[in-house]
Amino acid sequence: MLQYTKGRPLPLWLKSGRVQTGLVIIFILAVCAIFAPYLAPNDPNEQNLLSILTPPVWADGGDAMFPLGTDSLGRCVLSRLIFGARVALTVAFTASIGAMIIGAFFAHVAGYFGGWVDWVIGRIVEIWLSFPPVILSLILMVGLGTGLRNVVLAIILVDWTRFCRVLRSEVIVLRRRDYVSAAQLIGFSHWRTITREILPGTLPLLITLMSLEMGVAIIVEAILSFVGMSVGSETAAWGQMIADARQNIYEAPFNLIAPIFAIFFAVFGFNILGDGLRRTLDTRLTQTERT
Amino acid sequence: MRMIATIAKLLVKRVLTAIPILLLVSALLFCILRILPVDPAAMSLPPNATVQEVEAMRTEMGLNLPLYQQYGIWLNKLFHGDIGRSIHFRQDVTSLIGSTLPATIELAVIAMMVATVFGLAGGLFLFYVRGTRAEAVMDFVSILLLSLPEFLWSLFLLLIFGVFFEVLPFTGRLSPGFERPLVTGFLLLDSLITGNIPTFSNALQHMILPCLALGIALSPSLMRVLRSSLLDAYQDDYIQQARLRGLSEKRILICHGLKNAILPTLSLMGVQFGFLFGGTLLVEIIYSYPGMGNLMVDAIRNADLPIIQGAGLTYCVAVLVISIVVDSLYLILNPKLRVR
Amino acid sequence: MAILTAQNPILSARNLCVESVGAKESFPVLTDLNFSLEPGKILGLVGESGAGKSMIGRTISQYLPKGFAVTKGTLAFDGEDLVSMLPERRRNLLGRDIAFIPQEPLSGLNPVLTVGQQIKEHLLRIGLAAGENWRERALKEFESVHLPHGAALLEKYPHQLSGGMCQRILIAMAFASRPRLLIADEPTTALDVTIQARIVKLIAEMQKRDGTAVIFITHDLRLASQISDEIMVLYAGRPAERGPAKQLFSSPAHPYTRCLQLANPTITGPRRGLFILPERMPGLRVLKELKGCRFASRCPNAIEACTQTEPPLADIGPNHIAACIRTEKTPDIVPPPLAPGREIASARIHLNGEKLTKAYTTAWSPFAKRSSFKAVNSVDFSLGEGEFVGIVGESGSGKSSLARLVVGLDTPTDGRITLAGRDITANGNADRAYRREYIQMVFQDPQSALNPRRRIGSIVTQANEASGLHNSTRERMDRAAELLKEIGLPPDAAMRFPSQLSGGQKQRVNIARALCTLPRILVADEIVSGLDVSVQAQLLDLLLKLRDEHGFSMLFISHDLSVVRYLCDRVMVMYRGEVVESGRTETVFADPQHAYTRSLLAAVPPDDVNAEWSPVLAEAGYQVE
Repeated sequence: MLQYTKGRPLPLWLKSGRVQTGLVIIFILAVCAIFAPYLAPNDPNEQNLLSILTPPVWADGGDAMFPLGTDSLGRCVLSRLIFGARVALTVAFTASIGAMIIGAFFAHVAGYFGGWVDWVIGRIVEIWLSFPPVILSLILMVGLGTGLRNVVLAIILVDWTRFCRVLRSEVIVLRRRDYVSAAQLIGFSHWRTITREILPGTLPLLITLMSLEMGVAIIVEAILSFVGMSVGSETAAWGQMIADARQNIYEAPFNLIAPIFAIFFAVFGFNILGDGLRRTLDTRLTQTERT
Repeated sequence: MRMIATIAKLLVKRVLTAIPILLLVSALLFCILRILPVDPAAMSLPPNATVQEVEAMRTEMGLNLPLYQQYGIWLNKLFHGDIGRSIHFRQDVTSLIGSTLPATIELAVIAMMVATVFGLAGGLFLFYVRGTRAEAVMDFVSILLLSLPEFLWSLFLLLIFGVFFEVLPFTGRLSPGFERPLVTGFLLLDSLITGNIPTFSNALQHMILPCLALGIALSPSLMRVLRSSLLDAYQDDYIQQARLRGLSEKRILICHGLKNAILPTLSLMGVQFGFLFGGTLLVEIIYSYPGMGNLMVDAIRNADLPIIQGAGLTYCVAVLVISIVVDSLYLILNPKLRVR
Repeated sequence: MAILTAQNPILSARNLCVESVGAKESFPVLTDLNFSLEPGKILGLVGESGAGKSMIGRTISQYLPKGFAVTKGTLAFDGEDLVSMLPERRRNLLGRDIAFIPQEPLSGLNPVLTVGQQIKEHLLRIGLAAGENWRERALKEFESVHLPHGAALLEKYPHQLSGGMCQRILIAMAFASRPRLLIADEPTTALDVTIQARIVKLIAEMQKRDGTAVIFITHDLRLASQISDEIMVLYAGRPAERGPAKQLFSSPAHPYTRCLQLANPTITGPRRGLFILPERMPGLRVLKELKGCRFASRCPNAIEACTQTEPPLADIGPNHIAACIRTEKTPDIVPPPLAPGREIASARIHLNGEKLTKAYTTAWSPFAKRSSFKAVNSVDFSLGEGEFVGIVGESGSGKSSLARLVVGLDTPTDGRITLAGRDITANGNADRAYRREYIQMVFQDPQSALNPRRRIGSIVTQANEASGLHNSTRERMDRAAELLKEIGLPPDAAMRFPSQLSGGQKQRVNIARALCTLPRILVADEIVSGLDVSVQAQLLDLLLKLRDEHGFSMLFISHDLSVVRYLCDRVMVMYRGEVVESGRTETVFADPQHAYTRSLLAAVPPDDVNAEWSPVLAEAGYQVE
């Protein structure tokens, strides 16, 4: 491989305001997740039964010890939010990478070889898509049992088709380019043709999709923990906080608003990053918006 | 007519391909749920049953047979409309699904209408303001909206309209004290048929929040696709050519732009509506709406296998039906696919 | 009191300037344009890409691309300025008094509406029909453009029709309102040569019927001189020369017109060399700073004075003006002598194909029966050492499919290919490796043939990557420098990406990649189509030069008969998958035997402007649409 790299200026995609916004949001979340034990004012699982459902510190009856108040078991909402970022980000990164690897592999194989290979992979994707993703992930969680690793596995097993479907059509477009034929004539093996000629072309789309998929993974994890099918109750997760807060919706509506906002903030970060990447990396995708 | 014949052909083909898909899905469902560490035999007996009794039950339920034989038996029963008996509710799964499915369909269909109206209107607006400052703002707003999934919208709307302003009801399909007519199972339809206006308006009020939540959550992606399909269509020569023939911009948009741009939008809507059907599950839980979603989650919490299998299959059939309907629509609107 | 005479121009431009307006600076695209067009006359606008000829058409409609604007001057239609006119008034003229024919007929019609729906919409708008009688009127219009089966046509969608038919429909729509002005922007570029001839004849016929004034925009000087009354040659946004068509063509006054003519290979008479215009048209940024003549940097007659001030358009004859201070020297520009012909009769056969057949089948699916159609049908061919063989034919003739068989991108369904004595029909792994040593392909569209994410240096030496030989960065960069020198690109091009090169440069890179391993045979598929005449001449020259150095032979596929005549020793004419005629180039062109070959040749506008152009419109032995 030829390396002509010299000192490069800031790449175009990094100059985009959207990308920067997204990266800043993700950076904030990552700091929260990594340094959670140092940032959180309290132990997220410590129950203070003497002060349950305290409002946030700026409201009447707020307690400075619990800046965002406590839940029905007297646990610190802020601390749970910060620790919840750990689950969310772990799931976002691992699940999207896993789904990307499986989806991209099948997409490239199907799009490149065509014929019956494409047909079979296409049908498998079709079977997958005949399940609403929420239902399929719930059923998978029933089969796999709760736990962080299984949540990731379930999301990978559900969402690889998102990558496969969109990437496959992109691969087919690139496959028809003459430079792919030229590489074959020059004697490139199939593997080399895919990795050196096609993959660089699908990479922008891949990265964009991955950014969007991270947002989707956060939502799915929140949904699963909302119905109690995600990580166990001993780990703080945003979806679980919503489920808990729903019991006391009249007494402590803020307990519900806080995790909703956390999820929204994280998903928005990944979406705006994805949108910025889509624009600057010039990927002509029309169908990837959140599907 | 030729078009009807082509559509009939498509329907036959799609139904034929749907059969193997359903078979595979049912096998998948069966296998996933058989790995479960719960013993259906033990669950269907009282807790003080002896080991011998459990063993007898296992034999009776066919649980000692090889997996493929069990699947065969299960499938055979399925063909005869027997998905089994709920362990938890002590009721036939078929009747449980039969009583909850109409509620879910009602929710999904109205939500789809909401999504379509918002999506199309928003997409047209986004396209209309293209190249202006308003577009950048709207574009940003649409990403904001895109980041709120249906279950967050549900909670959000519930907080605002249900809890803070207390203007709309947010639990169940009907307030207590209203008479519930039962003809088809579709509450809105039934109350109209029986002329029960109070029930109709009460049921409608109950539908507003869940349908809005589902519809609004879905619309930004439709908006964005319609906008980008319109932008793509406007790159094409025939739009320029229509301008050069002196057609008005309004006519070009309606007769030329939209007719082409609706195609990619439609194919996305097919996928999205499948997702929306899954999204009803969350919305139902949040609004305590007695549909399949609540049934399914109850079943999951109680490890009630027959319901999980039955409801899972039903969701799957619903998605397939939606995609077949959308494909037929696509065929009607796209002459390239229609005439060979 | 206004006196209305037939001499009142229907369209006249006064000092018209169009600029590309940027945030910081703006660049002139059209500069000080003056012309007038009388009713019933045809004005040919000729120039290479970037000359601004399409911009004139767009200025008339005032649908300029984003960022372009008329900054000075007027453009009057029947005395009314189109630029300052109210948009509603202008829109009212469009489609009624001013009609347009597009370049791409297939995309000029809306794909989801039937032909009937579209013509109905148009007829109702211009008020030629009301209610249901549009159908009758549409059929009448179809008849006048010689479209048979009009009633059935109304129910069809554009994708069910050929390009020629779509163009006829668009012409019928354009002429339905008996317009006073028609703008035809490269109306035949996307069509096959035999159809081009028919469409051009049709436009002329309709124009005569209605007395319409026509602006005929084309890159083909020969074609323009056949159809136009007057020609304006544009160079870099400014007219270089304007005059009566025949006079301008037979004795061009501006060196650019002369060079353009000589850069185009001839179709009749003795073969002559091609005049090679160096470099290319200056870009907008350069033009803005330029003081002297725009053409000076490429002009063979340029002197010091040419670079000082911009030459004005000066009279050089009746109605004939040119922007050159040395017009008297223009006839001195002569083509270089033709490269000496080589004797190839005794050469040994390299590549041989016998009864080659390729049937394509529809995509694999267990539900549908796969249907197939023969793209190549029982074709025999051979290629000798050092020989250039041309394959000509129109779209769908199977010439590209044959190329794919030869290079091994497809495996023949039937027949035999032998390469230097070895049977390579089976196209197995060993055959491919063997073939690779001998044959390489140059692809048609450099846009698609060059990976946009690789640097030029990496593209041209890609073959090393596959073979593993000389694969160190140092060796590859050295080889890349060698190759770039051979194809006439500067060494620093190695570091660039394809998007940073011009069309002609990309095609050179395309050739260099095929040459990297020094193959004995090149297969070139339409490698000069879509390029400007001057760039085409540069590339043809390069191919001949490279043959002298490396002695490879070539299978040269093209739809352009004159290019094949210039370049190839032998020629094969393909029609619907079969070879209908083949032989030595001079023989086939001078004395064509097959009816199809004859009609192909007759469809090309003749080199002599006074010769009658009589394209054969139909003849037994082959089908026309």
